[in-house]
Amino acid sequence: MRLCCTYLALLVTGAVSYALAQTTSPKNPLGHGPEVVAEGHTIFNQTCTTCHGMDGSEGERAPALVGERRFFRLSEGALYDTVKHGIPGTGMPALNISDENIWKVVVFIRAMRSSASEVDVPGNVAHGKEVFFGKGSCAKCHMLDGKGGTIGPDLSNIGAQITLKRLKESLTIAGPIPAGYQPVKVVTLKGQTIDGIAKNQDDFSIQLLDNQNHIHLLDRAELKSVNEPKTSLMPHNYDKVLSPDEYNDLLAMLAKQVTINLHRKIEGDGEVGR
Amino acid sequence: MRHVALALLLALASPLFAQVTDQQLLQLPGKDWLTYNGSYNSQRNSELDQIKPSNIHTLVAQWAFHVNGGAPMQSVPIAVNGLLYFTQPNALYAIDGRSGRLIWDHHHPLVKVKDREGPQRGAAVYKDRVYYLTTDDYLIALNATTGSVIYEVKIAETTEGYSAPPAPFIAKGKVIVGVAPGDRGLNGWLEAYDADTGKKLWHWDAIPKPGEPGNETWAGDSWKHAGAATWMSGSYDPELNLYYLGMGNPSPDFNGDVRIGDNLYSECMVALDLDTGKMKWYFQFTPHDMMDWDGSEVPVLVDAMYEGKMRKLLVQADRNGFYYVLDRETGKFLHGVPFVKQMNWASGLTSEGRPIRIPGIEPSLTGTKVCPSSIGAANWMSPAYNPQTNLFYVVALEGCGLATKNTETFRPGGFQYRAGGDVLLRDSDWKVYVRALDLTTGKLVWEQERIGNIGLGGGLLSTKTGLIFSGELNGQFVALDAKTGKSLWHFNTGEGINAQPMTYMVNGKQYVAIATNTTVFSFALLDSEKVTAK
Repeated sequence: MRLCCTYLALLVTGAVSYALAQTTSPKNPLGHGPEVVAEGHTIFNQTCTTCHGMDGSEGERAPALVGERRFFRLSEGALYDTVKHGIPGTGMPALNISDENIWKVVVFIRAMRSSASEVDVPGNVAHGKEVFFGKGSCAKCHMLDGKGGTIGPDLSNIGAQITLKRLKESLTIAGPIPAGYQPVKVVTLKGQTIDGIAKNQDDFSIQLLDNQNHIHLLDRAELKSVNEPKTSLMPHNYDKVLSPDEYNDLLAMLAKQVTINLHRKIEGDGEVGR
Repeated sequence: MRHVALALLLALASPLFAQVTDQQLLQLPGKDWLTYNGSYNSQRNSELDQIKPSNIHTLVAQWAFHVNGGAPMQSVPIAVNGLLYFTQPNALYAIDGRSGRLIWDHHHPLVKVKDREGPQRGAAVYKDRVYYLTTDDYLIALNATTGSVIYEVKIAETTEGYSAPPAPFIAKGKVIVGVAPGDRGLNGWLEAYDADTGKKLWHWDAIPKPGEPGNETWAGDSWKHAGAATWMSGSYDPELNLYYLGMGNPSPDFNGDVRIGDNLYSECMVALDLDTGKMKWYFQFTPHDMMDWDGSEVPVLVDAMYEGKMRKLLVQADRNGFYYVLDRETGKFLHGVPFVKQMNWASGLTSEGRPIRIPGIEPSLTGTKVCPSSIGAANWMSPAYNPQTNLFYVVALEGCGLATKNTETFRPGGFQYRAGGDVLLRDSDWKVYVRALDLTTGKLVWEQERIGNIGLGGGLLSTKTGLIFSGELNGQFVALDAKTGKSLWHFNTGEGINAQPMTYMVNGKQYVAIATNTTVFSFALLDSEKVTAK
């Protein structure tokens, strides 16, 4: 009886440690700070570019890491394993660099595709929100958690949607106008002028959201003129009109806006690599 | 001062125009189509009169909106000021009702494979918001002009096996939601949420707990895994302030041995007070069902003369093969007759409306022929009622099943708990019809076969001009003469139809829309301006 129980206890212990071994993966000891990313970037461009391309953007002999969504779904531990041990049967070798440097490379690879929310962005979030609804006038066009304007994209989940780099560019550099936000001014045959953005349009119709939050379902045959300004309604000078603190705090606040993590791993999606 | 400025800015930035008012929701379907069945009485009879028997031969397709990844869609578009809100599981689309062009869409991401189960039947609208339910049991409220998320509320757990397929139902600022399925031993319930805040207001259990009236109708502990799912959107009488919904089948579906008793409130029509969720009355269509005959078919509310008196009626063509006329103030049974010929399980109804069972016609270990089959004589495909013809229109299936039972037991975690099933006997007698019944007698006035269809397909839409629109499983979208059933117009959509048609008007032009398996189609008259002008 006792033997039986001991045997059972061993079995249970064995099962538990097996389960633990299955779930334990190497842990990143360095964090995700900008300096770690920068050091990882340097090591990456010294070590990995032959196959994966400069900045991981264009690989001649191996995947362009920045472009492939599947790498993003790998855990940090899985990336570490891949760099440390290589992928048997492929051209990916085990890298003979220190563990610390491997972690830096891992953090850099993750940062390339990381959404803004997954990166450390120092700043005062509460003050950033004040800037959003106050001096920055962002709420005139954008919504945050159900409050704000409708003419620009809802930013409630922006931290999970775009990278920090992209977020900074949106605030400071004029870029192409995204689909669904083209400013448009139409004059109808009856002489009515409507200003807003084209949520959608084709050869025959325009779906126009005006500045008063009305959607107009327009047939081009009923329009006298359609005018599309080339510039976005979005100002791109926040680094100039805001103080450095205000800008950084706004950035930090936006980076933390996550309602749904769009990149989270979905059960049933295969792991890649090892 | 800063706060004042902030508050002012927020006030200015908020949407200025409430789109859908309580008053609008009380109207009959006209220019807008505001609920799953068009109006609270679920008659699906539109007031629009542009499209009629005399000009329907000029009805032509206006646009098609293809839904990427659309499974066999079961959703009914909602129309508000020319915008259509349309769902497929875990996605909602706002479409231009004139052109079919997308304005915005919302996609709800899932995490687990189990979260993906179940259909989605549509959206609901109230004020400046649009609402829908997801397969992983979230009630989501979106800004109606942009699709911005206002709130998401988790109403049930997929780990237990629940999904949430109905279109939410909204009245007096309350969003009523329910769950599926009842084939996994999961007990059904209804809940009301505050449309503005997402706060839960009340919860009603479809299966009474020990000590509550009705629990004695379940042998032993069988009430614990008892079914009675609430997987449809119901009807509402604003005067009585009662919400009506038919409950699903008892669990396990096919073996009644473990749940001796009537099994309340499975397969009951229940009337709940909208404000409190308290049940005012119930009427059970099939006590102790063993054929998966959910009583979830749409209850249609009609005020009509009955035996010389104006009465508030509720009529329903049930999956068990009987057409019922009830008094919707009290739940009193007034009349019931079979609306299918192939019925062998009951010889009729008692004066209280209880079926008179024929002994032995039930699932057995070796198999018994039961008519109707488990698919039912009718199902969730919406019926329609036209006050001018005084006819009730329903999609009816004539067919039987070879029904067996087994001793399967309940397993937690959302596994099937049916304890049997039936082999559908798709012989030459297996046929689908659109049938027109006299409202109060249930007498068959006309029928039109859906030739070549092996399944029920989609539901019906009536217009005051005397048309019945009907979507068939084989892809035909058909218009019938409401008086005679004669086919007046048809369009082959090219793929199966499992949803209900609806109609709306933009800029003086009437459209009729229907979802096929993966595409929404909209139709209008070739020369509608001329029609409007005169």
